[in-house]
Amino acid sequence: MDGYPAGSLDHNVPFLVAAGLNTEANELPLNAELRDQGILLRSELPPLETKEAEVLGQYFEEINAQGKSWSGVEREEPHRFRIRTLGRSFIFPPRRARLPEDIEPLDAAPVLHSPFSPLSPVSTLYPDGLIDAQWIMKHQELVPSVYLCFYTLISDPTSTTLHDNHIKSDINNLKSALARSGYKTRLAVVMLGESEAPLSLTDGISERLENIRRGTALDPKSVFYIPPQESPTDLKGVIDSILGVLYTSAVEYYRDLGRHARKKRSRGIAPQPTVPPTSGTSQTLSLSDWNFRYDFKSAVFAEFRQETDAALRSFEQAYEVLLGQDVLDIIPSWSPRWNEARLLSDIVAIRCLRCHMWMGQTTLAVRRWQSHRDRISDFVDRRGLGTNNYGWQAWEARWAMVMANLIEKVGVPDLAPATMAIFLQPEKAVLGERLQPWELLHHTGYWYRIAARHTVARRRLAFEIPEDDRNPPDSSPASLVASKAYTYDTYMCPEPFREYPVSGSGVNHSQLIIDCLEKASAQYKARKQVRIAAEISLDCAREMANLERWDDAAELLRPLWEDMSFRSEGWGDISEELCWVVRRAASGAGRADLVVAADWELMNNQFHRRPQWTYDIRRSLEGVTTESTPSVSLSDDTTRSFISASLVFRNKEGKAGETCTAQLALTSHTFLDAAPLSLDSLKVGFNGNLKPILLEHAPAEDDKPVSHSGVSISSITLKEDFSDDSGDELPSLLTGQTDLTLKPGQTRVFEMKIPLREPGMATASSVVLSHKNDAFSLDYTLRFRETDRIVGWYIEGSARSRHARPQARTIQIQPRPPKMEVKLVEPLGQYYANEPIELHIELLNSEDESASVKLDVHLFGKVVPAIRVQAEGHEGAAEAGEEESKISGLVLGSIESTSSFKVVVNIDPAKVPATFDLHLRASYHLASDSATSIMQTLPIQLNVVNAFEANYDLVPRLHTEPWPSLFDYEGLLEAHEGDAVAAAKGFAQKWCLLCHYASFAQEDLKVVGMELKVVSCVGGARCNVVQGPNVSQDGILVTPKTMHEAQFDLAAQKLSLDDRQPVTLDLAFIIQWQRKSRPDGVVNTTTMPVGKYLVLGTEPRVLASVYHSSGDEPSLVQLDVTIENPSNHFLTFGLTMEPSDQFAFSGSKQTTLNLLPQSRRTTTYRMLPLVNGTWVRPGLTVRDKYFQKVLRIIPTEGMKIDKDGLLIWVPGKNVENKEGDGDADGDAQAEEKAT
Amino acid sequence: MATAMPSIACLGLIGRNNNPLHISIFPSHDPATNTFAPIRTPLQFSLLLSSAIDVFDLRAKHNAISGVGLSGDFGLLHAVDDRLAAYGFETNTGVRMVCVVDMRGRRVDSSAAGSRGVGTGLRDAELKPVFRAMQNAYVHLLQNPFYDPDEHAPLGGMGGKKITSRKFAEDMKRIGEGWTPGVSTL
Repeated sequence: MDGYPAGSLDHNVPFLVAAGLNTEANELPLNAELRDQGILLRSELPPLETKEAEVLGQYFEEINAQGKSWSGVEREEPHRFRIRTLGRSFIFPPRRARLPEDIEPLDAAPVLHSPFSPLSPVSTLYPDGLIDAQWIMKHQELVPSVYLCFYTLISDPTSTTLHDNHIKSDINNLKSALARSGYKTRLAVVMLGESEAPLSLTDGISERLENIRRGTALDPKSVFYIPPQESPTDLKGVIDSILGVLYTSAVEYYRDLGRHARKKRSRGIAPQPTVPPTSGTSQTLSLSDWNFRYDFKSAVFAEFRQETDAALRSFEQAYEVLLGQDVLDIIPSWSPRWNEARLLSDIVAIRCLRCHMWMGQTTLAVRRWQSHRDRISDFVDRRGLGTNNYGWQAWEARWAMVMANLIEKVGVPDLAPATMAIFLQPEKAVLGERLQPWELLHHTGYWYRIAARHTVARRRLAFEIPEDDRNPPDSSPASLVASKAYTYDTYMCPEPFREYPVSGSGVNHSQLIIDCLEKASAQYKARKQVRIAAEISLDCAREMANLERWDDAAELLRPLWEDMSFRSEGWGDISEELCWVVRRAASGAGRADLVVAADWELMNNQFHRRPQWTYDIRRSLEGVTTESTPSVSLSDDTTRSFISASLVFRNKEGKAGETCTAQLALTSHTFLDAAPLSLDSLKVGFNGNLKPILLEHAPAEDDKPVSHSGVSISSITLKEDFSDDSGDELPSLLTGQTDLTLKPGQTRVFEMKIPLREPGMATASSVVLSHKNDAFSLDYTLRFRETDRIVGWYIEGSARSRHARPQARTIQIQPRPPKMEVKLVEPLGQYYANEPIELHIELLNSEDESASVKLDVHLFGKVVPAIRVQAEGHEGAAEAGEEESKISGLVLGSIESTSSFKVVVNIDPAKVPATFDLHLRASYHLASDSATSIMQTLPIQLNVVNAFEANYDLVPRLHTEPWPSLFDYEGLLEAHEGDAVAAAKGFAQKWCLLCHYASFAQEDLKVVGMELKVVSCVGGARCNVVQGPNVSQDGILVTPKTMHEAQFDLAAQKLSLDDRQPVTLDLAFIIQWQRKSRPDGVVNTTTMPVGKYLVLGTEPRVLASVYHSSGDEPSLVQLDVTIENPSNHFLTFGLTMEPSDQFAFSGSKQTTLNLLPQSRRTTTYRMLPLVNGTWVRPGLTVRDKYFQKVLRIIPTEGMKIDKDGLLIWVPGKNVENKEGDGDADGDAQAEEKAT
Repeated sequence: MATAMPSIACLGLIGRNNNPLHISIFPSHDPATNTFAPIRTPLQFSLLLSSAIDVFDLRAKHNAISGVGLSGDFGLLHAVDDRLAAYGFETNTGVRMVCVVDMRGRRVDSSAAGSRGVGTGLRDAELKPVFRAMQNAYVHLLQNPFYDPDEHAPLGGMGGKKITSRKFAEDMKRIGEGWTPGVSTL
């Protein structure tokens, strides 16, 4: 929009002059002659110098700036002004032009016209110009609609009248001067109250104001009073409301002017110029021309009034008149008026577009834009110099720029970058119509791009201008100049010799294009249209390359280049283009890295082969100036490669200490006539437990021809490099040497045996190709990716790889398999509680060489006993503990190959049955390969059980000794005086504990001793084991699952006769045993708790005992019935003995026994059995006389009891039988107890 | 002015990875020489199609927010200049179809010029048959058991093969040459 005359496109808003606020004076921006004729408006009063004046001045500046904005005026906006703040004088432009001096006297009195009119000879338009920007400027900047004077209302009461009169006369002077000038400018007055001595409203201000107003005959709406305000904001508020009032009168002013223009149009005559033209064609304006003028004027006045609708209507009307058949059609194209008219048509069209945009009619705006373009192109084709020249393209570019600038300046909020809108939907008025796609208003990027495109076309056409036309006119013959004068359309663009001069610089087309493209690119980027932005950047870079702004071009392209999106998405032709442009820019800028990168990428045969291009990476930097030998680092993140690489392990798994074969395949996808690439080295990196492999170039002795398959396989021996400072004794690098030349189209396969050292996972991650020559050195990193093509195994003579499998570049390295044997020697079938466990472990080295071994012993269980390890001079021990105990890192030293090493693990006896897990771990490394740690483990589960189980039965026996007597005072005394042990003077009982124990072991055990232990005896009594079972010297052989019995006699005696508390006995049964199989005879002691028993109760009891006479047969049997009364009561018992046919007896058949407290009595029956070898049942009943309760008779040795009563064994003839029945006796008693 | 009417200048199929699957270019009428020739180079058409991806992304984001555009028809993507405009359609599988229309691509016979309101513009709906036909062609292509869609948009978002089916190319040619505004089936 820069090319259009100043002011011609301004947004017209009412013009207001604020006078009296400073000392500035205006000058007319007209030629000297007109300037002298200016009409001066002057007042005598000094301008205001108060603070308010300053504030107002600033505020008016703000409003003025706002008034210059092109944004549409909203309905609710109170006012929009262009304000000029001045002193007390103002110069109006001359209302009427004077007659030219050198003119001949005219017949009639001349009619004088405005100096801006084509009728006045002084005007540039005279005699046949249409209208120009000066006319708009006159209304916008020279002639105000409102002349606003500021005065101070003096508050000093002594001089008020004088001062007011001064103001009055001043205003009157202004008024009359204004009236004389002929302008209809409204006069308005603002009285500012003095802030130093504020007047209150009661002080007759209104009278004073009224006085002034009346004295000057001003409209009441034109006089304002501003009392002193507290803050500038308040002052601005007051001024705003005043301006709001003035705005209406300003609009009225422009309405009057508009009306005047319309009135003149409706007269329908073309006015004659003041002086008839004598020069040129002496043509004057026709009626249509005048109509255009009037329409244009009323449109501009409507715009002053912000009546967009009316303005648009008038503009359209003017436009139609202008482009109609009477105006532009008849202007010859060689005339300067032709270009002026074209300019006017542009201005009118732009103003129309602006009106459309103000009204939100974006689609109509685009349509208007297009139609103006079409009409003008039609006109130019028809009447002008055609559209196939640079001038037309220049205008096209300009016209597109106009649209972009309009969108920017008017501000279409729906197209702001933040909305991310690419184009606007059509407005309602055209919603249903068939629209051209571009008629939906696109954002400015679109328009700038179109402008750039037309500029390109302009340059192309400019370059086609023949050389003759491009010589400056002064250097060519005048006739030639004349003949060429109207050959080129130079509307708003330079002449051919300036556009594209033969020598020197003309129009910098590239710069124009770059400017447009950069603006467009910014817009596209703001809307995240990165691909279009990239395309534009590409165009831009080409232009920069034309200007040889290499660095800028390279910088511009670098992000695109590194972004890779075109390449990764497979837009081959785009990336190819990008590569070449980058190559060119980088080569110009001396950016070695970019040049090499682009060359590297361009080697790929996916791209088109460029003829006459040397595809040789070594010669990449030829013609590029670089400071020193650059070293370039590239990677496939930013640069595509023509070499593809793959690494395949032969096997999925390998073992540490072994080797695994792997194939590294490099394939060159380049043009067959490209130079072979010779790498200096390549390095394969791994993730995980493999060290990098470095292959170095070694020239091959014999130049092996490439096999017809294009695949050549070479085997490489790898050497392990150990760095000095690595602590883990592992190699830091694997190196190998081979010929690393890669011919075009060739696949080189490097087969390597990779020694595996560390167990774990290893994945090939990348390969770095290094190339070096005199000009530069290059590192190219190729990363292996999950998405890479799966490559199989190459074999000689075949172009294709076989057995492709996924994840072939990953190897799982298993730990080295241990050949050390750890075993348990002579394991025992069963381990028992209370037995120390001794395990013999043997470590047998089956490796081929000696190994140094460390042993870890772990024992797990609930409660873990202490362990001790003994190993040929090495010893380790661990305390007992909870859950686990551990001996770790017991160094066993070196074990020779095939020799063994013995270790003894001792575990302390477990108190209770338990399960233990014993883990033995031997970790070792071989003497030759100290790096690889190998491990062998032996888990042993130990199930420790009890060797014996037992049940018990405590049966009473008759204590033979007499009870102490209550009346034996001597004994009592002794009891008081004697020592505690000997002093058991209470009554005593005898018991027998029957232990039935069985072996739960899996083998024969030998019991070497048994014991009964009185663990506790609570209740003031003494308890002794009187007699235990006898165990022979050899012990008792206990076979598994057999039952054995042991009897222990116990004697319990109260310490004191007075004590009647029952006594609790706690007993333990102790077996000393040993394994029969063990020769060493370690005796283990198993203690089994028997349980608690109550003895020495106070209840009376009846004990039956039987005595057999020896010898006789049938023998006489004596049955004693002993009744014990340990209580403090006198008890009476009745005894009855039933006769039986199994025996005869002597003794009382029925008797009564009286028992004193703490006494016992025995009744004896003598029985003669009539049977033998059987049980007899004496019908004996003991009854408590007092309680009438039958007492149970407790049997002792040789007796048993069942539910009917007592049974006595009568021995028979064979003794063995009795033996067996004796067992049965015990069983029966046990049964009895159970029931 | 109404001596030209819209025609298809280019049909493009863009894969899920923003990779070009297929590009067909059709000649436009050049009134100056009265011949038919493509109005842009293949490179320019590639750039043009790739630039449509941005609009697709932008529109998809916008549609996701406002919850419209479920049909996949994106209508006008953007106008490239005062001749070319790109229209778009996206399938459920993320395959994008772009139709670049040359608004003055075909000469209008003077007899037919008056009958229809040609040359005055284009509605989005008039491109629907094109996309329907393209989608049909693509579905036919997918029905071919030798066509593996994963090869053309591999996981990992890196490129993919182009469509090599001759039948598909012929379909595209038929669509591109057969369409004029107002055609309802192709």
